[in-house]
Amino acid sequence: MIADFFTNTWLLWILLSVAGLLFWRSRSSQYFHYVLNRYLLALMTLLIVSGIVFSLMEVLPGDCAEKYIAYKSTQGEMITQADIAAERSRMGLDRSLIVRWSSWITDLTLKGDLGFSCAKRQSVNIALGDRFWMSFGFCIAGLVFAYVIAVPFGILSAYMINKPWLDTNPQHNQKQRWINSIGLSFNKLLDLKLRIISYLGLALPNFLLALSIILLYVFAGEPVPTGLFSDQWSAEPWFGVNGFQYAKLTDFLSHIWLPIFVIGWAATALQLQTVRALVVDESNKLYVDAARARGVHGMSLWVGYPVRHSISPLFNSIGFDFQRVFNDLPIVAVVIGLTDSAALLIEALAMTNDQEMAAAILFLVALVVISMNFITDIVLAAVDPRVRKSVLG
Amino acid sequence: MISSVLARFGKKVETSQDESYYTAGQLALIKARFTRKASGVIAGWVLVSIILMGFFAPFFSPIDPTIRGADAEYRRGAPQAFFFWDEQGASLRPFTYTYTKDKPKINLRALLGSGGLDALDAFTSSGALSASAQNKYNVDRGQRRYVQFFVKGWEYSLIDFSMAGLDLDLRWDRHLFGVEQGDIHLMGTDEDGKDVFSRTLHAVWVTVSIAIVALIVKLFSSLLVGGVSGYFGGRVDAVLMSFTEAVRVIPSIPVYLACAVALSSMDLTAVQRYFAIAVVIGALDFATLGRRLRTHILTERNQDYVLAAQLCGSSGWRIIWRHLIPSFTSYIIVDTLINFPYVILAETSLSFLGLGLTEPVNSLGVLLQKAQDPDIQQNMIWQFFPVLVFVILIMAFVFVGDALRDAADPYSEKK
Repeated sequence: MIADFFTNTWLLWILLSVAGLLFWRSRSSQYFHYVLNRYLLALMTLLIVSGIVFSLMEVLPGDCAEKYIAYKSTQGEMITQADIAAERSRMGLDRSLIVRWSSWITDLTLKGDLGFSCAKRQSVNIALGDRFWMSFGFCIAGLVFAYVIAVPFGILSAYMINKPWLDTNPQHNQKQRWINSIGLSFNKLLDLKLRIISYLGLALPNFLLALSIILLYVFAGEPVPTGLFSDQWSAEPWFGVNGFQYAKLTDFLSHIWLPIFVIGWAATALQLQTVRALVVDESNKLYVDAARARGVHGMSLWVGYPVRHSISPLFNSIGFDFQRVFNDLPIVAVVIGLTDSAALLIEALAMTNDQEMAAAILFLVALVVISMNFITDIVLAAVDPRVRKSVLG
Repeated sequence: MISSVLARFGKKVETSQDESYYTAGQLALIKARFTRKASGVIAGWVLVSIILMGFFAPFFSPIDPTIRGADAEYRRGAPQAFFFWDEQGASLRPFTYTYTKDKPKINLRALLGSGGLDALDAFTSSGALSASAQNKYNVDRGQRRYVQFFVKGWEYSLIDFSMAGLDLDLRWDRHLFGVEQGDIHLMGTDEDGKDVFSRTLHAVWVTVSIAIVALIVKLFSSLLVGGVSGYFGGRVDAVLMSFTEAVRVIPSIPVYLACAVALSSMDLTAVQRYFAIAVVIGALDFATLGRRLRTHILTERNQDYVLAAQLCGSSGWRIIWRHLIPSFTSYIIVDTLINFPYVILAETSLSFLGLGLTEPVNSLGVLLQKAQDPDIQQNMIWQFFPVLVFVILIMAFVFVGDALRDAADPYSEKK
C-alpha cells in the first residue's frame, strides 16, 4: 500500500526533497539561496512551457477519440456521431483544455508519466523508449564536434584578425622575417578558408548538405549510409555468441558520422563566429592593454586574458546551442532516414497528428535546455568570480 | 568586431574630415563604415541584382513558368547553352541550336494485338520506359536559332498595385531575351516541360517576399512584447519575460510545423496560405528581439528626455513610439537584415517537408524539395540550379548582414 503510494508519486518526492535540501542550505549560504532561486525559476519555466506546448497541440486537427473510432470503422463497424461523443467522454476529451492540461501536468510531476499516444496505442514513455536518448546522443555528439572545431579555430581567427600577411618588423633579421611571413601567411590562409567554410555552413541548410553527401555516394556508386545500421547488421544483437560484436560497432560508426557531421556543421559555423566575436571583444578591453604594458606577451597574454574571459559566456550558451541543434534534427532525420525521437516528432506532427506524443517530445527538449541552463548558471556562479559578484551581490 | 579596414577608416577620419565625422548622423556613419568593407559591398550588389531579377522575374524570364508555358515537346530536357562561335563561323549575336526529343516509340497496338505477357516483357526490357532513355535529346547543329532581345512574349503585369486597392496594373509583353523559333531553356526543363530558369527567377521573389512579410510581423510582435514589458516594468515585465523565456527554449521548427499542419487542414487559397505561413513564421519569432528591446527600453526609460515627455503630458504609447523606439531604429534595421536568411531557411524547411507552399507555386523551398527525388539526382542534375541560386542568395544575405553588423556597432572603430 505505502510502496504503491510511493511508486506512484516518486518524482514529486525527488523534486520536493531537492527543494527542501536547497532551502535548508540557503539559510546559511548566499550561494545556495541563489541556487534555490534558479531551481524554482526553472520549475516555473517548465510549467509555462508545458502550458504552451499543450495548447499548441490543440491546433492539430482531430483528436484521439476520432482517430480511435476511425480505426474501428476500418474494422467494419458502423460508426455514428454518438459513438464518437461517447468515446470522447470516456477518454476525458470533452473536458476543457485547462482541466486536461492540469491532469497531464499532475501525472507528469507525480510519476513522470508523459501521457498516452493515440497513434501508437501505448503510453508515451514506452513508445518513446530510448529513442529520446538517441536524439540526445546525436545532439550532444554534434555539439562536441562543433566545439572541438570551433573553439580553437575561432580563437585562431580572432588572433589573426589584425595581423598582416608579411612580417615587416625592422627589429627582426632577414631570415626571421621570412620564417615569420611563411607562418603568418599559412595562418591567414587557414583563417580565410575556415571563414568561407563557416559562411557556407550558415548558408547551406542541413537538409541540402545531407542531400549533397547522399548524392556524392550515388555518383560514386557506393551504398548510401542512411539509417543507423546496414541491413545486414540491423537485426543482429550487440552481444552475439562470441561476446561483443565489434563488426556491428564499426558498421554503426560508419553510419553515425553522417547525421553528426550534418547537424554539427551548421553549429560549428555559428560557434566559430561567436567565439571569434567574443574573443575579439575581450581583446579590445583595457585589462589586456594593462597586461601588455606589464610585459605579458605572446601566447601567455592571449590565453591568460581574453580567451580565459570569453569562455564563460560560451559555456553559458550550451543550453541554447542544444536547442538549435535539435531544431535542425527532424528534417535531417527525414532525409537520412533515422528513427530517433526527432523523426518520431515529425511523424506525430505531420502524419498521425499524435498530440500527446508531440507535446511530450517538445517538452522533453525544453526540459533538457532548461536543465542545461540551470546547471551552467550555477556552475558559473560557483566558478567565475565576475558572475558570482553580479548575482550574489 | 573590428577589422583592419575599419581601423584605417578611423585614422583617416581623425586627420581629414574631423568636423563632418562628429556631426554626421547615425545612418550616415553606418553607411560610411559599410562602404569600406569590400566583401559587404560586393555581396550587397549580388543581393540587389538577384532580388531585382526576382522582382522583375517575368521580364527576365523567357518563358511563362506556369503550366501554360510548359513545353510539351521538350519535357525533362537538358539545358540549352548559347554560343558565339562554332565550326561554321562566329556571330556577334549569340545563338543556340535546335534541340528535339525523340517521341517515345510506344506501340500500344502491338501490345494489344498480341496481348501476351511476353510482348509486355519485351516492351519493358527494351528500355523505352527507363528514365535515362526519356532524357535523350538530339542536337541539330546545322540549324542555328539566334537569340533576340526585347522579344514579344506572353503578357504579364510588370507592377501590380491592384491588391493595394489602386487601379494601377502595368502590363507588358516584352522579355529580355528569347529565340527566333520555339523556346530557349537556359537551365533545362522539368518533368512537365516547365522552364527551370524562369521558375527559379519567379521563386526568388516569392521566397523573399514571404521573408519580408514575416519580418514585418516579427518586428511588430517583438515591439509589442518588448515595448510593453520594458515600459511598464514590474509585474507586467515579469509575466511577459517568463513567457518569452519559455518560448525561447522550445525548438521553433517543430512549432512552425504544428502550425503549418493546422493550416493545411484549413481550406485556404494559395495566396491566403502563403500569407498565413509568413505570419506564423514572423509572429512566433519574437523572443530574441523582444528581449533586447525590453532591456534597451528599461535602461532608456529613466533618461531625462522621457521625463520631459511625461511632464509634457505624452501618453505611454506616444513615449514608446515617438521617443523610445526611434532611439533603437538602427539596431532594429540591422537585426532585421541579419535575420533574413534564417526566415528564408524556415520557409524552405517547411516547404521542403511539403507543409509550406506546395507544387504549382514557385518558391525556392518547393524547388529545393525536388532535389530529394532520386530520379532528379541521377538524371536531371540541372534541376539543382535553384539550389545554387538559393545558396548564393543566402550567402549574399549573410555577408551583407555581417558587414552591416560591424558597421552599426559604434564601438567597432575605437581602435
